[in-house]
Amino acid sequence: MMNKTSLIAIALLVFMGFFPLFVDSAWLAVGTTFLVFSVVALSQDIILGRAGVFHMGHAMFFGLGAYTTAILNVNFGLPILATWAPAVLVPMLVAFVMVAPIIHLRGDYLLVATIGFNIIFIQVLENDIFGLTGGPNGLFGIDVVRVLGFDFSSQTHMYYMAFILLGITLFIMRNLDKSKFGRAMFYIHKDEIAAQSMGINVRYFKLYAFILGAGIAGAAGSMFSVQYSAVSPEAFNVTQSIMFFTIVLVGGSASLPGVLIGTFVMFVLPEMFREFETARYLVFGVAMILTMILRPRGIWPVRFGNIPDFLKKGVK
Amino acid sequence: MSEYILEISHVSKYFQGLVAINDLSMKVKKGQIYGIIGPNGAGKTTLFNCITGIYRPEIGQILWKGKDIKGSNPYKIAELGILRTFQTIRLFAEMSVAENIMSGRHIKSKQRWYNGVIPTPAYVRDEKANWEKVGELMDFFNLTEYATIPAGDLSYGIQRRIEMARALAAEPELLILDEPAAGLNENETLELTQTIRKIQEMGVTIMMIEHDMEMVMSLSEYITVINFGAKISEGVPSFVQDDPVVIEAYIGSDEEDEDE
Ligand SMILES: Nc1ncnc2c1ncn2[C@@H]1O[C@H](COP(=O)(O)OP(=O)(O)OP(=O)(O)O)[C@@H](O)[C@H]1O
Ligand SMILES: [Mg+2]
Repeated sequence: MMNKTSLIAIALLVFMGFFPLFVDSAWLAVGTTFLVFSVVALSQDIILGRAGVFHMGHAMFFGLGAYTTAILNVNFGLPILATWAPAVLVPMLVAFVMVAPIIHLRGDYLLVATIGFNIIFIQVLENDIFGLTGGPNGLFGIDVVRVLGFDFSSQTHMYYMAFILLGITLFIMRNLDKSKFGRAMFYIHKDEIAAQSMGINVRYFKLYAFILGAGIAGAAGSMFSVQYSAVSPEAFNVTQSIMFFTIVLVGGSASLPGVLIGTFVMFVLPEMFREFETARYLVFGVAMILTMILRPRGIWPVRFGNIPDFLKKGVK
Repeated sequence: MSEYILEISHVSKYFQGLVAINDLSMKVKKGQIYGIIGPNGAGKTTLFNCITGIYRPEIGQILWKGKDIKGSNPYKIAELGILRTFQTIRLFAEMSVAENIMSGRHIKSKQRWYNGVIPTPAYVRDEKANWEKVGELMDFFNLTEYATIPAGDLSYGIQRRIEMARALAAEPELLILDEPAAGLNENETLELTQTIRKIQEMGVTIMMIEHDMEMVMSLSEYITVINFGAKISEGVPSFVQDDPVVIEAYIGSDEEDEDE
């Protein structure tokens, strides 16, 4: 049976699929970045919306993926394809090493710690540690994806690669939500003591959320670095982390359509008001304030109760 | 191995100088319904929190089948088969009744770490079997009609049932109930009494704190009475009921209430 949500999802999918056919290159780039940012926001939502961990350093994982691809390609000459796996694995590893010692911290304390990690990350990039990161200017001349002599070099290619990445991410998120892992994160989020008392290892599932979220953000980062053929520190600073954090809350924590809407409102809308220069950030601020007042659970809040149909038979 | 499934021996728990539990010992037999009573603030909930790992007692031992579990992480204690309900109901309020009960299946689920990302045939079977178990429990507790409703939107009595269903979903060996009849009307209490009997017949050992004397006296095989953190009496219900020390403790606490 088709419900309203799946119809909207399919309509949106078709629209996004044909989007490159009727826009100019500037809008195509906005479209690609929207897809990439959506992936990052969704991965932030695993940690924030599902596990309920106040994590405000997500741009770091995004940046780790981007820099892994950039460094391996520019400094070591690896083809982009060969950098994909490291771009996912490095953020995962860093997430484990950094977050494991602080995962027990309570909400506000952990928030500050994750901001701290993000700031250190930017410092490392800007100080050109080991001469690999290119300092404040970053790295240029990142290659395009080449497979068997075919170059995916046009903006349209970039768009569809990002489109596929978003598809994979949504597939993963749906599986997560329908597994013991996604549920465990929700239980911890809603009541940590009750969750523990049901046998849920809080530490394990919070770390699981972090590592999975970091890996997906890393994949998006790799895509991002190829799209712009360059990386620089300011794309991954705390301000960006705040944006990803805000996207989730404005759109709707743990809600797939919510996070996509959030990305649209927080990233694409300001682009539409580009002629208003810096005043466009007004949209940003006003959207944040209004949503929190009018719809504190987000524009499209999560709906629970997605249980198998055979259990709904007795519902009156 | 001894006939006792749980042995609490000389346990003390302090909160910044306050003695919440004072050198408490008790032994629970397998299959038994064990009652714990005592005036408000006696330390009954604190004792349950010590058994389930929420608190770590400073002194003493808590032996589960002969092994000391004192200070273990609560999730490990649940994995051992010790499940509980809370005096102040702790459900996942925004989540549906079925999803709440499903949390009890967590420790029984055999999904592997990669099933959070990729489904496999074994995962599909596991998921289905667990939801079916949730269905059975909703039948048992008369919750089927509320399956999709957020637990927090339901009445107090129904929430108490959801909490018990959730704990039972984990197929516990020891079920710990903290004032299961609190806030229930007479009919609901009667129903609860029958439900607890049925759970015992399934082979589950039950420990229960309860202020409803009629219920706790009729259900329990053995009772320990606590006051100011220490045991003041123990025995079969008929003995405890008539123990002057117990009567004294309750009258004493009533007078205090009147003073307030
Ligand atoms: N986390 C805590 N920190 C400090 N004191 C506590 C804590 N938990 C309980 N206490 C104190 O320990 C004592 C025992 O409390 P407890 O909740 O175990 O009583 P109880 O027997 O369950 O009472 P009731 O019948 O009212 O539920 C009380 O004086 C209480 O204030
Ligand atoms: Mg109590």
